[in-house]
Amino acid sequence: MLILAFMVFGCRLYRMLNRIILACILLLPFQFSLAESTISIAGSSTVLPVMSDAAQTYKNDNPSTNITVSGGGSGTGINAVINGIVDIGMTSRQPTEAEWVKLSEKFELIDIARDAVAIAVSKAVIKSGVSSLSLEQIADIYRGKIKNWKDVGGFDEEILVIDKEPSRGTRHVFAEVVLGDAKARAPGASLISGSNNEERSIITRSNQAIGMLSHAWLNDDVRGITLKLDNGDTVSASPEHVLDGSYPIQRSLSLIVAKNRSEALQSFIAFLQSPALVPSIEKNGYLPLN
Amino acid sequence: MLLRSWITFSVIFSLALVLIFVGFLVSASLPFFLDYGLSPIVSSEWYPYEDLYGFLPALVGSAWAIVIALAIALPCGLAAAIVSVEILPQRYHGLINLCIDILAGIPSVVYGLLGIALLLPWLKNNLDLLSGHSLLAAGLLLAVMILPTITRLSQDALRDVDNSYREAASSLGLDWSQRLFSVLLPQAWPGIRSASLLATGRGLGETIAVMLVVGSIDRIPEPWYNLLAPAQTITSRIGREMGEASVGSSQWSALMACGLVLTLCVMLLSILAHAPRKRLARG
Repeated sequence: MLILAFMVFGCRLYRMLNRIILACILLLPFQFSLAESTISIAGSSTVLPVMSDAAQTYKNDNPSTNITVSGGGSGTGINAVINGIVDIGMTSRQPTEAEWVKLSEKFELIDIARDAVAIAVSKAVIKSGVSSLSLEQIADIYRGKIKNWKDVGGFDEEILVIDKEPSRGTRHVFAEVVLGDAKARAPGASLISGSNNEERSIITRSNQAIGMLSHAWLNDDVRGITLKLDNGDTVSASPEHVLDGSYPIQRSLSLIVAKNRSEALQSFIAFLQSPALVPSIEKNGYLPLN
Repeated sequence: MLLRSWITFSVIFSLALVLIFVGFLVSASLPFFLDYGLSPIVSSEWYPYEDLYGFLPALVGSAWAIVIALAIALPCGLAAAIVSVEILPQRYHGLINLCIDILAGIPSVVYGLLGIALLLPWLKNNLDLLSGHSLLAAGLLLAVMILPTITRLSQDALRDVDNSYREAASSLGLDWSQRLFSVLLPQAWPGIRSASLLATGRGLGETIAVMLVVGSIDRIPEPWYNLLAPAQTITSRIGREMGEASVGSSQWSALMACGLVLTLCVMLLSILAHAPRKRLARG
């Protein structure tokens, strides 16, 4: 008797479950249309920490707005905003000509901070006696003309040359200043990496690596090397050298957003252009514009 | 009646999905082949900024990675299948299958992480490499990933061998190795063959784990058998570049063409994997 009752009840439950699932499926489109004030952001992994901080701060005062932030690199950010996949594209480089054509009049570029691209090397390289490199030496390393650290005053170890995916913002800025063209090839590269995180972890694991990293991502294991300028001065990627313009490999961190935007998006953009963003910028090691 | 129409619908739906996917890949990569012809498939420079789209480095990389993986996983997987089906008593089968299923169920990104954390430093220190990123690393990871496929399908193939063969072999007085090599393996061969073909397809399509350890550099190994060099596979290229290619650009359709080449290879492998079974059924 009990078993029978259980079976009947089980059957009912099963049928009910089916209905619930069906109802969920049918209602799914409405859930999407209800969440109107969602702002999606993607792109440069350099800008990402600033934006996720800013999103958190903003959400504290505006709990009704949902903000999602994801990485992918500047090229991804620019393309995603062009294709309408995200509302805001983060970029750590200027869009290329071809990208500007697609961005056309409908989008605008908003600078939010400045940053230096550091020439990052493994700690062991600095300890072996390489104190500074000239832009020419770095170019020779990336062109495959210098292959051993002993040729630039270090130990007798091969150089692990880390290049980046071609559309990454850091790579554009680096290639423009060091190799003379934002799209230049680097035939000396031994590896291609993607985000700042990936690159930093490869340099950390190696004793003989050189790479390009946003200044904010340096740490004790991954150190920025000072640049020897043509006039004999040496400059590090420190804030004062970025601000007075003496450190050459620097760039603006920017956002790309449609000119025609919703109220929620406009209010978030206004927040990003206000001084309220400064703590998020400074906390992550970048320089506010003013 | 309802069941039958539901099943018919499902079959048509899956068939249509296959056709739609392949059709989409073809139409998306068509502009690329119209602009560049078929020559990119054998040229060796991939540099989207200069409109160079040579598939060869990635094709060679994918081929090497899967060859290394098969060279390791095939003997190991087959041995594991023989041990678990022919030698160990029935009561251990559950445990072994559980282990293999767990191996198969570990997400590929986790294999990638293990590769970065354990395999790369190990290769770097023992083979005196710059960073450990290499075809060998990709091949070793793939070997672990296709091992469960080979083992499970080979087990099935061995189990399908009728017991009368085993009895006949024993009554003829064949010793264990004779029984294995002249009776069991030949009988199970069609199944083992399709197991390795399916595993090859799975290995070719594996992306994230390979991407993390292969080095992603578009260069054919120099010399061609240098497995310690960093390289690129088709999947790692698509994985690295798809996000940044703008829809409709030639880079985008070149990546679609990569996808098409890969899909065709895997489809061919699947078809080959199914073919011998039919012949067995007829014989």
